[in-house]
Amino acid sequence: MEYSSLHRQLATMKKSFFDQGFLDEQFFQIEELQDDVSPNFVEEVVTLFFKDSLRLMGNIDHALEKFPQDFDRLDSLIHQLKGSASSIGAAKMKNECTVFRDFCDKENQEGCIRSFQKVKKEHACLRQKLENYFQLLRQVGPVAKATRSGN
Amino acid sequence: MLDSGGAAAAAPAEFPAGLRVLLVDDDPTCLMILDRMLRKCLYHVTTCSRAAAALKILREKKGCFDLVLSDVYMPDMDGFKLLEHIGLEMDLPVIMMSSDDHKDVVMKGVTHGACDYIIKPVRMESLKNIWQHVVRKKRNGSKELENSGSLEDNDRQRGGVDEGDNASSACAGSWKSVKRKKEEVKDDDEDDDDEEALEEHEDPSHSKKPRVVWSVDLHQKFVNAVNQLGVDSKFLLTLLKLVGIHYISEAVPKKILELMSVVGLTRENVASHLQKYRLYLRRVSMPQHQGRLDSHFASGHDASYDPVSLIDGFDVPGLAVVSQIPPQGRAAIHPGPRSNMNVGISASSVNQFGLIASGIQIANASNMVSSSAQQMNNKRMSNPQTPSNNIQLSQFGQTPSAVQPYGSMNLQFGKGMPNFLTSSSQPSSFSLPSGTMSGQMNVSLTMHQAQHLHQFSLSQQRSNINIPHSSGQVLNNNASHSSRLSSALTLQTSSNESSNHILGQLRVSTSITSLPANYIKSPFSTSRRDLYVDGQSSFVNGLSGSSYPSASGVGVSQQTASFQSFSSNHDLKGKFDNVTAFNTISEHQNRGHEWKLQRVNLPYQTGHIFGLEQSNLLSHSSLMSHHNSAATATNRDNNTGATVKDKITSLTNDINVEKRTSVAQHRNVYIDDNSVRLNYGVSPDMSYQDVYLDDMQNELMSVVAKQVTFEYIYDDYLA
Repeated sequence: MEYSSLHRQLATMKKSFFDQGFLDEQFFQIEELQDDVSPNFVEEVVTLFFKDSLRLMGNIDHALEKFPQDFDRLDSLIHQLKGSASSIGAAKMKNECTVFRDFCDKENQEGCIRSFQKVKKEHACLRQKLENYFQLLRQVGPVAKATRSGN
Repeated sequence: MLDSGGAAAAAPAEFPAGLRVLLVDDDPTCLMILDRMLRKCLYHVTTCSRAAAALKILREKKGCFDLVLSDVYMPDMDGFKLLEHIGLEMDLPVIMMSSDDHKDVVMKGVTHGACDYIIKPVRMESLKNIWQHVVRKKRNGSKELENSGSLEDNDRQRGGVDEGDNASSACAGSWKSVKRKKEEVKDDDEDDDDEEALEEHEDPSHSKKPRVVWSVDLHQKFVNAVNQLGVDSKFLLTLLKLVGIHYISEAVPKKILELMSVVGLTRENVASHLQKYRLYLRRVSMPQHQGRLDSHFASGHDASYDPVSLIDGFDVPGLAVVSQIPPQGRAAIHPGPRSNMNVGISASSVNQFGLIASGIQIANASNMVSSSAQQMNNKRMSNPQTPSNNIQLSQFGQTPSAVQPYGSMNLQFGKGMPNFLTSSSQPSSFSLPSGTMSGQMNVSLTMHQAQHLHQFSLSQQRSNINIPHSSGQVLNNNASHSSRLSSALTLQTSSNESSNHILGQLRVSTSITSLPANYIKSPFSTSRRDLYVDGQSSFVNGLSGSSYPSASGVGVSQQTASFQSFSSNHDLKGKFDNVTAFNTISEHQNRGHEWKLQRVNLPYQTGHIFGLEQSNLLSHSSLMSHHNSAATATNRDNNTGATVKDKITSLTNDINVEKRTSVAQHRNVYIDDNSVRLNYGVSPDMSYQDVYLDDMQNELMSVVAKQVTFEYIYDDYLA
């Protein structure tokens, strides 16, 4: 019950992520990589992503500040961020990166700044959600296993 | 998947499990994910986040990886650069990845040699099949060699078929048969080499374009046009190619068509014809080339050669080659010691490559000779029309000096240089203007290079015709070998040689006055050198009915004479023993002294080569034997006889000797009318020529191969 309740919660949560577009099916791919050999793979990857993306975003902030007109540089940086986000299925974030990139192409500094704010916002939002998710998962996990094992 | 344990146990290196992948990505998230994915596919994964580190690993552990998976955008090095490095240094299959799916980026990956381009985010499925690239690459690597062979076969067959379709009645049969014979004769390996390039370039046009019958006349026009355009004599090109002369042909289908101004003829027709011609030339000039003749073909290079030598004395008007050869180049041509038969083909008359080709062939000596002889005999130039079909090596009065330097026989290709039409149709007479027959006729005729004619040096020193690489190849003054050739080659192309067909007949006209009779003496018995005297026709005529004694042994002396016979008549049938050819010539010989042909005699052996016309080169082998005997007479190591090459070499040597002698004596330019024309019986059927040339080519190729760049040919072709 608890298990099922937790599981249901998890399931609902995850579903909402997809429904709301925070995550896309790439996330499933990540989940599939998790197995006995790497039981926490998903969480590890997501954690790594958020850590690294902070670094990248810092670079972009820096570039926007110091080289606001260097759109090539901005483009390159946002490209990295986008790639990273897409690799874990962070859909909304990825989309915002695309918008940012478009502004870079148009050399719209104002647009870049604005869209980057959105990128950061999406980043924070997703991070929160996934943190909650993993927290719940940790609770459910062992229980789930125990449950499955026939408990 | 929670069955990793089971999965792990189940894959004891069962392919593709265990595939060793190097993963390069600067994004740690991606790196981790991909790493996991690859491991899930049971591959062995090594990760790197920097391209430089990746290269380092690859270099240090060469052979430890099967595949590289790399991101495109990386901070320290562009992924494409890494791709290039890997391709160059390790030749591993590389798969590029990026979230950038723009076509141009993907295209860049392709053009830089990536085996695949995966768009991120990467899915498991995409990685599951990457092993195919490893397999494919390995297969393709080994297949290249095979392919050429198969291609060649196809080509040949096609060629044969095409020939039949397109060749004039006169030529068709012969060409085809020659081709066939050639096939028989050629080694598979050689085929690979030769055919490859051609294959690639072989335009299937002839399969699709409407068949045009390339009558002798039409072909002649074609050849004329080509010559006019600066020698797009395939034969010559081939020859040149053979010797590594880079010739840039101006003769592109369009221009040829224009010049020809034949109603109803399309550019396509011309293009196809040209292609065949080139193919033929290429074949002939590229003998055993290793594998990449085509590259030679294309690359044409070798500027080193200094085509000059050949051109010296050639007065081929259209011979662009000639012009291209820088004077100094000529000097440089003597490759020196190789016993190559260098045919000093006077550039000037290089027009007709045929001659040169023949020269080369001659150089190739034994093989060629015999084969050619045979061919000549066999093939008989179907068109008696000799002039055109004959390759006449006539000396144009051109610059004797040019020849001189070489001491080798300079094949002077006069305008009459027939274009070797290797394929089909009209036999072109290949006249090599015999400028002066330098001591050694180094005929480095790469048939293909005919155009260049510059340097043909058929060095045959050793069994193979060493085509002197050096620029001076062509004119190799190495007396030793090319002498024979020289003599043969010295066929002067009668200036008037209009016959531009490369008939493949080398008509050796005795009219070469420049050559002292004794010139030919040496290996060739000097006796009759009178190869023909006069113009092409004479030669031809002479030959034609002459029965060439198949005195193989005799050959030498007779060779010259017979050589001439080739012209139009190539009656050299069957085995054209050198002797036979020469004999015939002798018969016709008008003047003994003019026997510059004596030199021609030398060529007897070369004559065999010339004999091409008559006989399929195929027979060359047999001829060779004859030749050998003949050659032996001359000297050298013909005894081996076994190898065509040897024969050729010996022949070449003989020729060279002769040449030298003769040159010494007279290094003058042959007078046209006296020119000894080697009618390269390429005529009607180039086939034998092909064969012949092939042999010769082989010889030459060995030497020249590397140098020839035929790119131009193709470029032109494509133009």
